[in-house]
Amino acid sequence: MSRRVLLHVGCPKTGTSYLQDVLFRNQALLREHDILYPADRFDAHFLAALDLMTLPWGGLETQAVGAWDRLSEQVRDWHGTSIISHEIFARATPTQVERALASLGDAEVHVVLSVRDLVRQVPAEWQENVKHRSHITYASFLETIRDPGRESKIGSWFWAVQEIPDILGRWGASLPADRVHLVTVPPSGSDRGELWRRFSRTFGLDGLPLDLTAERENPSLGVPETSLLRTINQRVTSILAPPDYRPLVRELLAHQTLSRGVASARLGLAPDDHAWARELSRSWVAVLAQRGYDVAGSLDDLLGPDLGAFADPDTATADELLPPALDAISALLVEAARLRAVEERLHEELREAHAERDRAQLTTSYRIRRKVVTSLEESPAGRGTLDAYRRLKHRR
Amino acid sequence: MSPVPTHLDDAARAHGWVEHLRGGGTTPWSAWAAWSDAGSGAGSRTPTAPLPGAQQLELLRRINVAAGSSAHPRGDQGRERTRLADRVLAAPAAGRGKADLPLVGLAAPGFGPRPVDPADLSAHELLRVASVLLADDLVALGADPVRTSWPRPWRRRVRLVGDPVTVGALRVDLLSRGRPEGGPRPFVVAVGAPLDELLARTWTQRCFETGTKPWSEWLRFWRERDQLPARADLLASVQRWHPRRPLVRVVTDLDRLPRQVGVRHLPPVRVPGADQAELARRVAAVVGLRVPAADRPELMRTLQRRIPDSGVAPIGVPARELAWVASSAERMTRGLSRAGYPVVGDLADLAPSTAPGRGRPDDRQVLDLAIRMVVDPRWRGADSDEGQVER
Repeated sequence: MSRRVLLHVGCPKTGTSYLQDVLFRNQALLREHDILYPADRFDAHFLAALDLMTLPWGGLETQAVGAWDRLSEQVRDWHGTSIISHEIFARATPTQVERALASLGDAEVHVVLSVRDLVRQVPAEWQENVKHRSHITYASFLETIRDPGRESKIGSWFWAVQEIPDILGRWGASLPADRVHLVTVPPSGSDRGELWRRFSRTFGLDGLPLDLTAERENPSLGVPETSLLRTINQRVTSILAPPDYRPLVRELLAHQTLSRGVASARLGLAPDDHAWARELSRSWVAVLAQRGYDVAGSLDDLLGPDLGAFADPDTATADELLPPALDAISALLVEAARLRAVEERLHEELREAHAERDRAQLTTSYRIRRKVVTSLEESPAGRGTLDAYRRLKHRR
Repeated sequence: MSPVPTHLDDAARAHGWVEHLRGGGTTPWSAWAAWSDAGSGAGSRTPTAPLPGAQQLELLRRINVAAGSSAHPRGDQGRERTRLADRVLAAPAAGRGKADLPLVGLAAPGFGPRPVDPADLSAHELLRVASVLLADDLVALGADPVRTSWPRPWRRRVRLVGDPVTVGALRVDLLSRGRPEGGPRPFVVAVGAPLDELLARTWTQRCFETGTKPWSEWLRFWRERDQLPARADLLASVQRWHPRRPLVRVVTDLDRLPRQVGVRHLPPVRVPGADQAELARRVAAVVGLRVPAADRPELMRTLQRRIPDSGVAPIGVPARELAWVASSAERMTRGLSRAGYPVVGDLADLAPSTAPGRGRPDDRQVLDLAIRMVVDPRWRGADSDEGQVER
């Protein structure tokens, strides 16, 4: 069987979490069909990407040591098709791309990029920034990414992982066009299964009895919920370390609580920004059409939806923020109560352990020995005697 | 240099500059680009290879400048120079900042980051590459062995807490003298200092262990929480060991510290300068991606012992934070007084006393130090920690 590697390098906010979760949960079945998704944890390829690109990530990078080399070794050793997938690979520099492709051996490499229109990506990326500790306002975010100099961290990162022609210029430079695959995210309101069908076709998964249950998704937030989260970040980002922020704010508040506000207005673009995004997308579509890549879906999907009603998150009123704020307080109180219960249980276990130790030490001989040791430890001569005794008894 | 045909396209011109730099050249890109008969464009790097980013190229140029003026020429210059150049060109710029930047003046595809003149890059951008080189050097060097000797049975049992720089140096010294920390019922010796210095040293030591956030962010983190970091909080540090009161010593007079730990003299304590700490902080972030988490502190302490001196003052607390530091010091002093722990010295010495002229990180100084360390490998040699200056 010929060796193939399908390298899915982005983009963020294009259904990648769902795809990676399906691949991770169905590893055994995929292997039976000679398809390897080498991951011992759901975020294994994220760690490999951090390693490949030397990206510190709030302390998570310490778990990434050697992750790319391990991943590429597994891929080189596999006889059939291998799939690698993480959206931050999109940011790799030409030098890192060269290293990555070289480390995959002599396999036939295909690069896959899933893409979505800028009209939906811009607000989604702002939300993603807010879910990663940022308290930049929506207006400032837009100003930042529209700065041609891309001087800020946010601007340089945004374009590194969202500028489709540039990403494919880096990842596809050494590959023939028919080994570069674009998967477009269908327009809003399309059949929910359509994106999966496009992924499935591109990754050669059609006909496999995969468990497609959605277990891990990256849900979006409504306008007041995102606005609230940004306001919370203003207060807590400087005093809450990333290892605490991740479970308490991103997971508990953003993903598990605030994303439930399905009735809230969804974030879009103001007319001027919408026109800019549309225009830019048109220029991208023209370039991509010329390059002749394989496309699952349609390049027209990249033009995005027409201008809709715009709710500005920077001007959300206190009345609009109150309901999600109460939800957030409730969720934090419930979590605090759960952690108190855990703490109490641990204290109880510690009390039991101490009681057991005390019972064991209650003998007369133990008390006498303890007294002797305590007396000897009071003086240098006594300490020397004790040390000599311990050495003789091999107790040191 | 031989003339280059004028029909050489942009890529060949850029690769010609790469070759020029690989050969030790120091011509800035703007001068090279304007100079149509610039020299040997052909080389081992073909124009099809990816062009390194402006950050890598400018760092290499500055390394070449520094190597040219170095008073310590390397042995086999040609081979070493090329090997180092290739490492610089292949090194990524660490962190989530800008990706590799294209050179200004070349035909641009219309996508990607805006091209730059490498000479205009900030020290911060070049440090992102330099820190990767130094981290790789450090990992290749490995951790220095820890000197130990047979434990003296009559030693005074102590547990050291407080000023992390002093305690770190003392701990190593005691271990080498057969007086390891710990043991049954030890004296808990809390080494104090004016709280502003204690905070600065706590951050500095973090830089040389696991790395941390920038100094101003770190200070803000604690100020807004109105808490002290564990090692700067003497009261909490002592209480963590649950000692009986007679077995505690809070030492603010360092001249009397040796007696408290059962020795005659303190080892020389070297407080790293602001530039050294900042460079270590950046290197630590990359080392975290190169070695298992448990190995990083020892590697970073090796760097602490070996990092060349630069004469820059240690980091200091800025004036705007002093009010908070003063109130924290008062609170800590009250807590220690109420606890009734024996004090060697005077608790009033814990009040902040920021002296004028204390350092703060300056990226240009940090970059100078980093380039010096890349060019002059003596810090990686044997006995490199000799001649360090005590502050």
